[in-house]
Amino acid sequence: MTHSLHRSGDIESQKKDFVWFMYQTKGVNDKNIKPKALEFIAVAEAVGSENWGDVKTGPTVLCSVDEIRNNLSDKSRIRGVFTKREQVVEFLKQIKAKDLGMSVVIAGVLSEVIPACKEAEATPHSINYSLGVWGKKENLPDETTLSITTMCGHHMISPKFVKHVMKRVQKGKWTPEEGALKLATYCYCGIFNQVRCADIIKKSLPETDLST
Amino acid sequence: MPVIDQEKCIGCRSCQTICTVDAIHFKDKKCKIDPELCTECYVCFRMKICHEGAIETQDLAGFYKQFQHVLSDPVETHGVTGVTGRGTEEVKTNDVSGRVKKGEVGLSIDMGRPGMGVYLRDAEKVAMACAKAGFKLAPQEETPLAALMPDLNTGKLIDECLNYRLLSVIVEGRCEEEKIKDVLKALMKVQHEIDTVFSLGLISRVDPDGHCKALEYLDELGIPQPHRGKVNPGLGKPLSTA
Repeated sequence: MTHSLHRSGDIESQKKDFVWFMYQTKGVNDKNIKPKALEFIAVAEAVGSENWGDVKTGPTVLCSVDEIRNNLSDKSRIRGVFTKREQVVEFLKQIKAKDLGMSVVIAGVLSEVIPACKEAEATPHSINYSLGVWGKKENLPDETTLSITTMCGHHMISPKFVKHVMKRVQKGKWTPEEGALKLATYCYCGIFNQVRCADIIKKSLPETDLST
Repeated sequence: MPVIDQEKCIGCRSCQTICTVDAIHFKDKKCKIDPELCTECYVCFRMKICHEGAIETQDLAGFYKQFQHVLSDPVETHGVTGVTGRGTEEVKTNDVSGRVKKGEVGLSIDMGRPGMGVYLRDAEKVAMACAKAGFKLAPQEETPLAALMPDLNTGKLIDECLNYRLLSVIVEGRCEEEKIKDVLKALMKVQHEIDTVFSLGLISRVDPDGHCKALEYLDELGIPQPHRGKVNPGLGKPLSTA
């Protein structure tokens, strides 16, 4: 799930992008997780998670909620996205009150996530800090494309596909929202933030080079 | 592995557009998957992009092809780590597992991300550089790459695997807090010796404000302070106090 942590793009835009997870620990609480997963899903839905999913079935932008719920198993991984800090606070408050014992992770801009944890009285225990991208960076795609492809945790969205979607939006065949939704279906985990993606498409279209 | 039936392919190139690593070539009005570049992520097959049904899968021949697929396709679950794709539990369950303890620092070096893919020969270079600097590489119970690493003290991989390309693989482990500067220095050097990129995560126990001592070393090394993080707020049980 590289890109729940290492997302690219404008910081202000990233401040509207929070990834939430429920995790079971191997050998400790990884059996019969379905009842707890359903509780997590209920809270996420109530708080208004824009997209969520289980990698074993798919995201809500592709599959029905019932299908995801019915397919839950001990191999499931439940995660999704919020677009507002208030949603993170409410999510943490409710999950803490339920005391389910599963690990929770919130990924995002630290200046937003840490205060949200404090407000929910959920004290940070450990953090995986992003130290950015290293190595042959000159071969990476442009920053706009990267800000979209890095919203899929496992790089299931190719840079060429982003350009393809942008072209169709530019030609008026899709709205930015429709284009963003199309891209979101390729991220099986459900952590692709289609709301932020539509914003990025809208803001970048006039200046993006779509020639390749 | 995915293959394109040349009889069914009409050369629309839809599959080329969605291939995550540019492994599909167009020649003589047909698309064909390059088996050396393909990472077995199965996006082309799973998303049913071909309206002619030309994309099919064949049995993955041998251990390394299966390894490639399990690590590149997040829908698969790794048999040993129990985590999907090439993922590991890292900070995600640290409140319960206590994998990274107080006074230690973990690194999650996500090779090939974002989007470039990685040959295992480059993962080996990074693993060996880290091990030489005093980094303790994680065992195969914790991370898939260790299955190809007979000696965790050196980070050397099995020779037969070096030319396989994956969508991504994680070099992972930990060290004492005071050693992390040496490991980061080693990464600053080896990053110029590889033909891909990596996304670097630094894992630590933190104080209630989200700080840790290791962050102070970053300024000394000229590494920008992080603005993003995966925060584990300690709601898992039983809570590790290690």
